[in-house]
Amino acid sequence: MSDPNPKLSRFSPLSRVITFDDFDTGLNGWTNLIGNYEGSLDSMLPEYRDLRGPMLSNGSMWDTGSAGSWDGTYAMKLATRAQAGSLAVAVKRLTWREPGKIQVEAYVTFKPEASEMALSELDVRAFGFVFDLQDSKDRVMPHLRYLKALNGEQVARWQFKSQRESLENIGGSGKTKSHFHLAGDGWENLPGDPQPLCYNEIATKQNWHYMRLTFDLSDMSYAAFQFNDRVYDLSGIAPMVIPAMANLWCMLNLVFFVETDIDKRVFLSVDSVLLSGDF
Amino acid sequence: MRQSHTAIIERDVTWTGKFETEPYEVGWASEAIYFVRVLEKDGQVGRGHAKPQISPDGMHWCDEGTLMGFQESKDVAFVRIARFGTYLRLVGELPPGTTAKVIVYLTLKS
Repeated sequence: MSDPNPKLSRFSPLSRVITFDDFDTGLNGWTNLIGNYEGSLDSMLPEYRDLRGPMLSNGSMWDTGSAGSWDGTYAMKLATRAQAGSLAVAVKRLTWREPGKIQVEAYVTFKPEASEMALSELDVRAFGFVFDLQDSKDRVMPHLRYLKALNGEQVARWQFKSQRESLENIGGSGKTKSHFHLAGDGWENLPGDPQPLCYNEIATKQNWHYMRLTFDLSDMSYAAFQFNDRVYDLSGIAPMVIPAMANLWCMLNLVFFVETDIDKRVFLSVDSVLLSGDF
Repeated sequence: MRQSHTAIIERDVTWTGKFETEPYEVGWASEAIYFVRVLEKDGQVGRGHAKPQISPDGMHWCDEGTLMGFQESKDVAFVRIARFGTYLRLVGELPPGTTAKVIVYLTLKS
């Protein structure tokens, strides 16, 4: 039976709700993602230098005014620069206390900036979600993205990334390292057909979508992924894994991102996010 | 309790000539301060200026009316703003031959 609380009834959480972020009262711990640096910001890997951060949006459109969010006025919005390949990223930084299943559920919607009276359905390149986790052995980073379009061609597929990026030393102390795990290379299709989504019929109409990702901390494996009416088979799909790092024990980070395919801003809005666990 | 938020609008970006920041949605806030912290500079930053702009849609802009000046002897400049709409951005210009590496903060309160 679904939760009688109308704020929660659209979710299917595991036994304990860890966080519930309804962006009507602020960003709830979601903040900018920045690359590691030492001594100078210039020491940061270049891909990390300009990741755009989150804001609170009332969903305003030039032609229809404010849509508000799923329930209420505000959603968390990520906006890229008007530059092909620009990324906007939001991260929430927690730690875990029981090595069991965790699950993130969210309602999301994506659109390009309505800067021209055109459908613009191929302007959003991708949006996605990452868990950034560490146990006593490994840093494990399940990456999933919906590749809407690439170089102007429709793709409409969910993808995962298990390919590691090179780990670079930052600064001279030997304590700081960095790898740009969101790089565009190395993504692979999840099994199954493409999944066309409800983009709607002009650039200012946006519809909310449901996302659910379950991950098992006990063996660091994917347990389930659902997007709207599609449940994906993740058996045999490996997350990105790198050796455990010195200062990330029990890390539990959540990351949303959006990327533009052309020189136009694109947006991802999130309302709400529920993280639950089996403990 | 009032809500507050500090947004990083630019970080370690070098300005030269005319500049404009990305839009930021501020519909929930009633007051704002843009801070510009100058990390490095070359030339006459004190002859530059910046000004907040407001917009009905995040795409079409007009001056809000206040002006931010830079002082050669100060590392931080600011401008206070109130009674804006859903969107803010900061535009400005440095004199020819002048560059400034900056961090731009937008500090908001409900």
